[in-house]
Amino acid sequence: MIFIYLLSGLFLGWSLGANDTGNIFGAAVETRMLKFKSAALIAAIFIALGAILEGSGPSGTLGRLGSVDALGGAFTVALAAAITITVIVRIGIPVSTSQTIVGAIIGWNYFSGRLTDYRSLLTIASSWVIAFVLSAVIAATLFYAFRGKINRSKTHLLEQDFYTRMGLVLVGAFGAYSLGANNIANVVGVFVPVTPFKDFSLGGLYELDGVQQLYILGAISIVVGIYTYSHKVMRTVGKDLFKLSPITALIALLAEAIVLFLFASRGLYNLLLSLGLPTIPLVPVSSTQVIVGAVVGIGLAKGGKNIRYNILGKISLAWVAAPVIAFMISFVALYIIQNVFEQTVKQNISFIFDRQTITRIEHNGFDSKYLSTDNGRTFSSERELYNELKTNSRFTRPELLDIIYTTEIYPMKVNTTLLQEKGLNKRFTEEQWEVLQNLNDKEFRHKWQLATELAKDNCWKPRRMIAGEADKNYNRTLSAKLDILYRSFYREKAAK
Amino acid sequence: MPLILKTTRFIEAQIDTFLDIVSDSAMMFQLAVDDYLNGRIQQFEERLSQIRDNEHRADDLRVGIERFLYERTLIPENRGDVLAILENTDEVIDNMKDSLLQFSIEMPDIPEELDDLWMQTTKASVAAVEQLVYAVRSFFRDLSAVNNYIHKVYFFEREADHIGEKLRRQIFAMDIELSRKSQLRFFAIHIEKISDSAQAVCDRLSIYTIKRQL
Repeated sequence: MIFIYLLSGLFLGWSLGANDTGNIFGAAVETRMLKFKSAALIAAIFIALGAILEGSGPSGTLGRLGSVDALGGAFTVALAAAITITVIVRIGIPVSTSQTIVGAIIGWNYFSGRLTDYRSLLTIASSWVIAFVLSAVIAATLFYAFRGKINRSKTHLLEQDFYTRMGLVLVGAFGAYSLGANNIANVVGVFVPVTPFKDFSLGGLYELDGVQQLYILGAISIVVGIYTYSHKVMRTVGKDLFKLSPITALIALLAEAIVLFLFASRGLYNLLLSLGLPTIPLVPVSSTQVIVGAVVGIGLAKGGKNIRYNILGKISLAWVAAPVIAFMISFVALYIIQNVFEQTVKQNISFIFDRQTITRIEHNGFDSKYLSTDNGRTFSSERELYNELKTNSRFTRPELLDIIYTTEIYPMKVNTTLLQEKGLNKRFTEEQWEVLQNLNDKEFRHKWQLATELAKDNCWKPRRMIAGEADKNYNRTLSAKLDILYRSFYREKAAK
Repeated sequence: MPLILKTTRFIEAQIDTFLDIVSDSAMMFQLAVDDYLNGRIQQFEERLSQIRDNEHRADDLRVGIERFLYERTLIPENRGDVLAILENTDEVIDNMKDSLLQFSIEMPDIPEELDDLWMQTTKASVAAVEQLVYAVRSFFRDLSAVNNYIHKVYFFEREADHIGEKLRRQIFAMDIELSRKSQLRFFAIHIEKISDSAQAVCDRLSIYTIKRQL
């Protein structure tokens, strides 16, 4: 069954391959600097490599935005996004895959009565604006640098052509790698918690864990998209929307690759962290916005006369329309899948105010006097509970979210074998793994109970004193690990 | 890197050889006119035959470069422009050859008092062609210098027109038969046309230069 569900993710992968590869290689192919076959081959190899080797960073952020917790839901969300992209691409406008999937996830949040994590949404949405501006700035800077260099170097036109071609291949590969790393989260990110794959050894040389296999499958679907449909999009991006020369195409591509890399590389993130510099959030940005940003940057550097503002307006409109359409399709599709096809699209999570949870809330330092009317009550919707608490108390939003987290009923049974089967054990340190194994077969009713139990050992304890980005990152990683545990140990039957 | 750049360098060398031929032909043209004016007909005929060879070689090179650029989809954005430049520059050699051939066929009798103006017109036209070669070379290697050479081509073209006009006036002021005047005028115009064709290449070149600028 899960493989049928995965199909929609693969459909999404296909549409990403068709749409986003056009963004990378469109100008190169349309200026005839690269043949479509070569561009497709480079894209296929490097998108797959990026997805498999470095794809885990942005998945996390998307996961935080909305935790689509049932396979049917993940299927529908991916399907809604894929349909939206396909429809808009058929009209001939490049669309943002990231924005579309975010729209679809929020659709799921609304349908299932969950709260949208606005902070994550803000991180993602602001990153789109930042990525656009950053790309324009980088492209303009590169343009000036290239112009100065070319004017000084007195390289022969034919050699310049050769270097540009080489540059397009190399930077295209880098861009494809970054795209794979940054956007694979959009394709299979929602399936990560429910991956059906088990560890797989490649002749004893290299072991692929379940998530990596999921990424490989996603990468294959992207490759199929590249070969079957990206040529059309390349034509749209490279010819109709912006008329670039080979060198300006190279500059735009380089700017795009840099920006995608900045937002996707965990290595860079860790490096900045270790140097005590501000970090760049690992979020899936839109390659469409980034390339348009780069082209606008170059256009402005050239004096702003060559920018076709009417087409830019059309693309910008699609940026607004895409998430909205995806949101609506997602919402309607979830309704149909749930009620017509009778599939589970969300887990029925409830929230309880009993002695145990109220004590915990008090222990967390909250005044329980506002909760007196809720004592003994059970809520079946996160949003309903949120609204109730908001009306009756003076808690701030983060405090409310903390209370909701505490009261959530989420039955779990520790089973490390499950983690081992999916190869997820590699995500924990030896110490952490040992602690986990000691808890085998223990049952918990709330997430915080498992977290508290684990935190008895230092290796699972979050840092209380947040001195800087490093501590924040430590806690973020820890919380991502706990998330894996919650999802893996969840007992659906007990919840019912 | 030199190994990967082999094809590129090969075509670069072909283009350079082509331009060398244009430059050689221009100098040869000047020497040939000098030979003719000084009655060294044997030497003049040898130079004509050399220019003819040059013309064939330039044609072969141009066709070879054309084929190479299209077969290997090199400089896709500029190859149309490059081919136009090469074809038009090739026409300059054709013009010089045609002019000398006409001398060889008709053997016009040029009065001695016209020698100086005749040579000056020739020199101005040849200078225009030489500057054209510099301009084309710069188009490939140093875009910022192109306009400088184009300016010089225009200067020598005007100069050739100016002296050519003087020459024609003097021809028609002379006490010779009208048919001879008419024949000499034809030859004078033929020499002026060489600089005109160089100017025509420059007209295109200046547009292509703007197109190539980043």
